[in-house]
Amino acid sequence: MINWWILFYILIFPGFLFCLVAAFLLSGIDRKLVARMQKRIGPPILQNFYDFMKLMGKETIIPHEANRAVFLAAPVVGLLALVTVVLFIPIYRFSAFGGIADVVVILYLLTVPAVALIVGGAASGSPYAGVGISREMVAVLSYELPLVMVLLAIGKKVGLALGENAVTFSMANIAAYQNLFGPLIAKWSMIPAALAMLLVIPCEVGCHPFDVAEAETEICEGPLVEYSGAPLGIFKLNYYLKMFVMTALFTALFLGGRGTGYIALDALVFFLCCVCVTAVSMSLVRAVTARLKVEQVFKFYWTVVAGLALISLVLAWFGL
Amino acid sequence: MMFERLIPHCPVLAVMTLFLGAFLTAIFGRSKAARRILLMLASLLSSFFMALLVKPVFFDGQIISYWMGNWAPRAGYAIGIGFEVDGLSLFFALLVSLTVLLSNLYSLRYIERDDCGDYYCTLALMLGGSVLSLVQTGDIFTMFVMIEIMTFACVALTAFRKRSEGALEAAFKYLIVGCIGSSLVLTGVILLYAQCHTLNMAQLSALLAGNLTPATVFAFALLLTGFGVKSYAVPFHFVAADAYMAAPSSVSMLFSGMVNKAGVYGVIRLCYIIMQSMRLPALQTLLVTLGTLSMFVGVTMALRQHDFKRLLAFHSISQIGYVLTALGLCTALGIAGGLYHAMNHTLFKGLLFLCAGAVWYAAGTTDLDRMGGLSKRMPQTCAIFLIAAFSISGLPPFNGFVSKWIIYQATFEKAAEGGGFGYIVVTVVALVTSVMTLASFIKVAQSVFFGQERPELAHVREVPLSMRIPMWILAVLCVVTGVAPGLVLTYVVAPATYAVTNVTGYINTMMGAGYAESVMTVPAQSIPVDASFAGYYSPVSWLILFAVLLLAFALVALLGKGSRGAVCQDDTGCDDKYAVFFGGERVTRSTVAGSDLFWGFRYNFRHYFRWMGNVHSGVVNDYAAWAVGAGAVIILYLYALL
Amino acid sequence: MILTNYISSILLMTLGLYVLCFQRNLVKMVVGLGILDYGVNLLIVSIGYRAGGTAPLFVEGEIQPGMHFVDPVPQALTLTSIVIGACVTAMALAIVVQLHRKYHTLDTGEIRRLRG
Repeated sequence: MINWWILFYILIFPGFLFCLVAAFLLSGIDRKLVARMQKRIGPPILQNFYDFMKLMGKETIIPHEANRAVFLAAPVVGLLALVTVVLFIPIYRFSAFGGIADVVVILYLLTVPAVALIVGGAASGSPYAGVGISREMVAVLSYELPLVMVLLAIGKKVGLALGENAVTFSMANIAAYQNLFGPLIAKWSMIPAALAMLLVIPCEVGCHPFDVAEAETEICEGPLVEYSGAPLGIFKLNYYLKMFVMTALFTALFLGGRGTGYIALDALVFFLCCVCVTAVSMSLVRAVTARLKVEQVFKFYWTVVAGLALISLVLAWFGL
Repeated sequence: MMFERLIPHCPVLAVMTLFLGAFLTAIFGRSKAARRILLMLASLLSSFFMALLVKPVFFDGQIISYWMGNWAPRAGYAIGIGFEVDGLSLFFALLVSLTVLLSNLYSLRYIERDDCGDYYCTLALMLGGSVLSLVQTGDIFTMFVMIEIMTFACVALTAFRKRSEGALEAAFKYLIVGCIGSSLVLTGVILLYAQCHTLNMAQLSALLAGNLTPATVFAFALLLTGFGVKSYAVPFHFVAADAYMAAPSSVSMLFSGMVNKAGVYGVIRLCYIIMQSMRLPALQTLLVTLGTLSMFVGVTMALRQHDFKRLLAFHSISQIGYVLTALGLCTALGIAGGLYHAMNHTLFKGLLFLCAGAVWYAAGTTDLDRMGGLSKRMPQTCAIFLIAAFSISGLPPFNGFVSKWIIYQATFEKAAEGGGFGYIVVTVVALVTSVMTLASFIKVAQSVFFGQERPELAHVREVPLSMRIPMWILAVLCVVTGVAPGLVLTYVVAPATYAVTNVTGYINTMMGAGYAESVMTVPAQSIPVDASFAGYYSPVSWLILFAVLLLAFALVALLGKGSRGAVCQDDTGCDDKYAVFFGGERVTRSTVAGSDLFWGFRYNFRHYFRWMGNVHSGVVNDYAAWAVGAGAVIILYLYALL
Repeated sequence: MILTNYISSILLMTLGLYVLCFQRNLVKMVVGLGILDYGVNLLIVSIGYRAGGTAPLFVEGEIQPGMHFVDPVPQALTLTSIVIGACVTAMALAIVVQLHRKYHTLDTGEIRRLRG
């Protein structure tokens, strides 16, 4: 019965349960790594999970100014979009759901959590949130250009190699290519794109040097300032999930390969890859840098990162 | 079937009803009730006649032709005036009918607070009738006349609105640039007549196939510029922003829902069918360039605006850019994407203009800097606005996502099929434009519906039911066309796409079977249409969607236990726990004004924005010069490359 | 002779467009619209002209072999176009009057509240 499998995909693997476990583990490892880099001991790996459970039990306060329905629904919508993205990301040969052009679907679904954060913050009616959502939107504008160019470069590269239509927007094709020719990061023309993607990850997730939207020290967590209790917990969970989703996307795009054929083993290898990507793209950067200003973020992404992505795009265009 | 015999007469009846309604409201419209009844009656009847055509044209694939006064062609020459409704015409005609019907329903209550004079009903019906006739006629001179009636009605509807600041100014500018456009169309029509001695589009199409002489190229360039002016692509867009802003909202909906679609229809009919020259790469490059420029300039200008309706106007320009880009690709996927997006644009942009109208009706302003916190006063309008905003920004599962996705796919594939690196740039611009669209609607959401409530807006109430009904209809349509793209593509977009490529059928229906084959020197080359592009939502993903939504509701229900204390009236006995956080101080209010959002983005683009501000100078001579200059460039370009 | 018509119609149209682009007075712009229209109308009539042709009016039996008419279709088009042109001029002038009442000027450089 195909229907039951779909339910299994959504709820257990690679949907909710797998996502949540992976997200909590990944973010815990990230915190631990940053702590170690700063010569601290750091919290236990499951600390984020404990925090989340604690928050779920707390009272939810809705300010007078807030629009109740939007305020409460926003975190849930973001969560659902993130879980849906995971369903589209192939884990080596396994893919819960694929389409003709799921790259575009992923691209758009990835903006949904940001929109949820923005709309939720806006609905809270706080001026701090107003500043925060404006910054969050600028951050989205910043990383979207390089992200789009990275995806097009990969689409061109894979499409040329597979010879079908000469371009592709399909995750399945990207996975198939890496199955045949090895991981994309090993192709020298894709290295700039991989670098660009590594730089996109922290901004998309909203972690340290690029966390202009939530800047605790300036605007008290921006959009989240009015949130408390369960909705805040879910927003925190969204943050951890974003970490997992973005690193998983990187792994699927650049670190694919033949796989072992056993789903459990594949998932484990996949998760280890995610941990490595997290360590490089988020933990390391987070430990050694200070927060940028919002216009600096924008400039950085539209010049340096977009330039890197453009190099790959042009190289891929010439068949390299 | 009792309507069988009525069907050939339907196109002309639908047009006649609207025009007749216009005259009757002018004659018998002394009382408000009579005007309203006539208005609704005419638009309902007209929509009914159009609806009758759906089955024969979309489902059975017929092409309906109708000769006025039964003046069928004699001896291979079509002197009479004919109507010809193929899938393309019906596609646009249905959009027009829907827009007219909903806009008129909305305007019943809306114009009570807006002053358009007693002539509103007459002019609105005339506008509807002219566009409906424009998209159905088979005669190119009739097309010109209808363009003129359309311009005339648009100008009058804008100018009659005394309460708006720039109404007269916008109307005058619109008139000047509109007249330049229609004069160019008329000159083009006349030059084609001089070459072919016919005004019938089917016959022109047969005679002009592969027959690009200097005179026809000149005529082509003039017509293309003329229709370009009417679709308000970029160098012609200045007046559109002014007119959409200054007109009453129900008319702005007509403007962006069907008047600029009329221009798009003209471009399609001209390039694909009359001249059959879309296969030439030079023409594809031209249309795609115009479209891409429109996309980018429109959306960046929209980010600058602080008036709700002016912002929407620039988004109209941007979305028309998507449509023109997709149509310029000349692939089946591109045409389908372009038409799908044209339909979606009519739905969500109409909805957004109605939302702006509702806000204006309730709050009396459309200035983003002077509003805030309306979502609690107008919850339904807020919900509808969010649906429309997510649709236009292309978030799944709303309709904008489907059409934009097809467009990206089409441009990217075009780049691979020898289109050159430029098409990659087009794809990137299209994707980035989409995010910027999202950004500017976030701005509207924050400064109109969310944020802190303004004390002067405390009296605001939800708009009356007769205004909410058309809004809900459009909102539902936005969702339906988003979650059932397979059905829409198969039954609505595919027939229209097929009609775009079916030149021979178009000619033979009008001129008699075998005419095309006997006259045309070059056989019509049709673009292969394959239906495999409808693949995003398989039944499997339907299930995913349902399960996910179910979970969402369950979670929201679980979360719904959040508490909110009593509203505090004064300082005594009020619980600060439920007040908005102000850094420990008690401040009553502090808002982030709409124009100050996205400072980080605007700072980096400050030179560009200053330059664009100077270009949109507000001087009508400059606008005329842009239109004339762009026309000259198009003429030279086509001469150099065709 | 017909060449003169073509040249003057093109000159008229160019003049009309020039006025619209560079004359900053509203009334002059309306005149420019008119000139543009007349240029187009002249072009339409000229296209229907046949050297030595008579008026396209005849009754049964009046046609002689060797007789020919000017093309009647462009004349019908011209009539339509003239009517439309007159309407546009009337409309434009009405708006100009209102604009003058509101802005107290006819200079396009000062009627620019909608910009940017």
